[in-house]
Amino acid sequence: MSKSSQRSPFGWSNRGGQVTVIEAPVARSHRRRAIISFWVTLGVVGLLAATVASYYLHPILGALLGVVLGAVLGAVVFALIAAWPVLRVFWHWLPEIVLGLAVVYGWTTLMQSTPLWGSLLIVALVVGVPAAIKPIRLRVMAWVWCLIVRHRLRLCFAAFIATNRHGSLPLILPAKPTPAGERVWVWLRPGLSLRDLEQDGQVQKLAVACWANEVRVMRANRKYAALIRLDITRREPLAHTIVSPLPDYVPTDIPANAPTSPGMPPVGLDLPDVPDQPATASTDAPRQRKPRNNTTNTTSPNGFDPSDYA
Amino acid sequence: MDLTDTIELPTPATAADTVPVAGGLSIFDPVFLGIDEFGHPAYLPMIYRNILIGGEPGAGKSSLLNTIVGHAALCPDVRLCLLDGKQVELGLWKDAADVFVGPDMDHAIRTLRRVQTVMDNRYSFLLARRRRKIGPNDLFGQILVACDEIAYFSATAGDKKDQDLFAALLRDIVARGRAVGIIVAAATQRPSSDIIPPSLRDLFAWRFAGRCTNDVSSDIVLGHGWYARGFSSNSIDPNNQGEGYLIAEGGIPNRVKAAYMTDADIIRVADYATWTRRRSGLAAPAAKVAA
Repeated sequence: MSKSSQRSPFGWSNRGGQVTVIEAPVARSHRRRAIISFWVTLGVVGLLAATVASYYLHPILGALLGVVLGAVLGAVVFALIAAWPVLRVFWHWLPEIVLGLAVVYGWTTLMQSTPLWGSLLIVALVVGVPAAIKPIRLRVMAWVWCLIVRHRLRLCFAAFIATNRHGSLPLILPAKPTPAGERVWVWLRPGLSLRDLEQDGQVQKLAVACWANEVRVMRANRKYAALIRLDITRREPLAHTIVSPLPDYVPTDIPANAPTSPGMPPVGLDLPDVPDQPATASTDAPRQRKPRNNTTNTTSPNGFDPSDYA
Repeated sequence: MDLTDTIELPTPATAADTVPVAGGLSIFDPVFLGIDEFGHPAYLPMIYRNILIGGEPGAGKSSLLNTIVGHAALCPDVRLCLLDGKQVELGLWKDAADVFVGPDMDHAIRTLRRVQTVMDNRYSFLLARRRRKIGPNDLFGQILVACDEIAYFSATAGDKKDQDLFAALLRDIVARGRAVGIIVAAATQRPSSDIIPPSLRDLFAWRFAGRCTNDVSSDIVLGHGWYARGFSSNSIDPNNQGEGYLIAEGGIPNRVKAAYMTDADIIRVADYATWTRRRSGLAAPAAKVAA
């Protein structure tokens, strides 16, 4: 399935004027956006530069300089936008890249400044002490999970959450470790709403993809519907018994005045003590009438009974 | 007259040198419920509010109800009106309560009628004073109507007419009671429409869902639609009693673990509450009548 493309004002070699429609609509929209940005930058910057330059130079020279400046800046903008899909990947993996560079360069610097045994000792200390002390280890692991979860969520959004026509994914904002797991804030782009995430089975799929126990989604802000919050739980922080503080309000020196009820004889506490009496079903019970609109009596296989919500 | 003012309680003329004082709590203070997922204490303001507690047997409903009743029992100006078809869940508070209703449908309906009459009288009084609601240290205290196992009264005991009457009276108290300080805390296992009329269920602003046997049951307690957002109390570990989803301030279910009082603790607090209440004349005569 193909369709001829009318627009090729700028060097993109759509050979023979043919462009396939089903092939990467995202890439096409990016190219379109880059071309539009080039022309807009050229126009705006060119006009401004020409106006300012004409003040100092001959107007024709100024106009030419403006066009040149606009074209240069437009090309820069075009390159940035065209390369954005690649830059975005770098941005997504920035913490890992920075961490990797730090490890490599740190190790090199260490090796150059200390003998081998010194370097090994320092590395053993830097890695071993946090690994040995439990609170620090848990904290570090929580941060690592935050990094992992943001990648997993990005994968989910790309894989099965419906996106808009431009293919732009929700913006994944910072994640924060919680005692139960992680909490991630997400800014939804136009074309998505909380309802899309609430559809049947979506949160369960998110939980599977995030290697978590469960995922809960809710609005994070009363003002902005686009800002939502995902609570990812992978631990059970509520397993301990919580002791009520109410007994602390009772002074220790109250008299033992437990009110005693008159003792109840232990009679009728077992089955043989209770006689078998005939059931007294009321004979004048009203006749069962058939309800007039019997539409809400259907029970679906998973136990959902609409009349419960009636 | 300023509409927001409150009338101070008169100090009793026959104040002795030493009297047992209640715990110094007030029902205007939020009730300590337990902790939430982040380890922060979870508080539940009960004044002007009602709560519906649901969950399967053994989910910790009665434990939570005991915490609420215990808080109210230590408040010097709150009268307790307890309905418990199972008797033993709230029975330890029997002597501290003004009314304790066991598995007795007739007594339950009579009690709710009494509360309803008190409510009507209080509204007439407020109207005469050109006020709209009560405040702390008002001329009259608050009443906590705690009902464990609503299903016993609204679907099991008595005949259909009595059950409907019970539900209608309770609905009226939940609907109109808040401004005159009548607080309802009700617990049941599955508040589906055959147990509680949905018109009554939907009046409870605050919900607590302990573990439920399936996602639909959880949605019935919390309100339709929460399961789709990932809030299902079916995912709670059955062995972790007292954990559940609480909808209170904020309107979003919050996973909390309810505080627990051992039976010895409950008896201790209940005895103390009874002692202080008898001395201050809050519970003694009525408790005798009820017993």
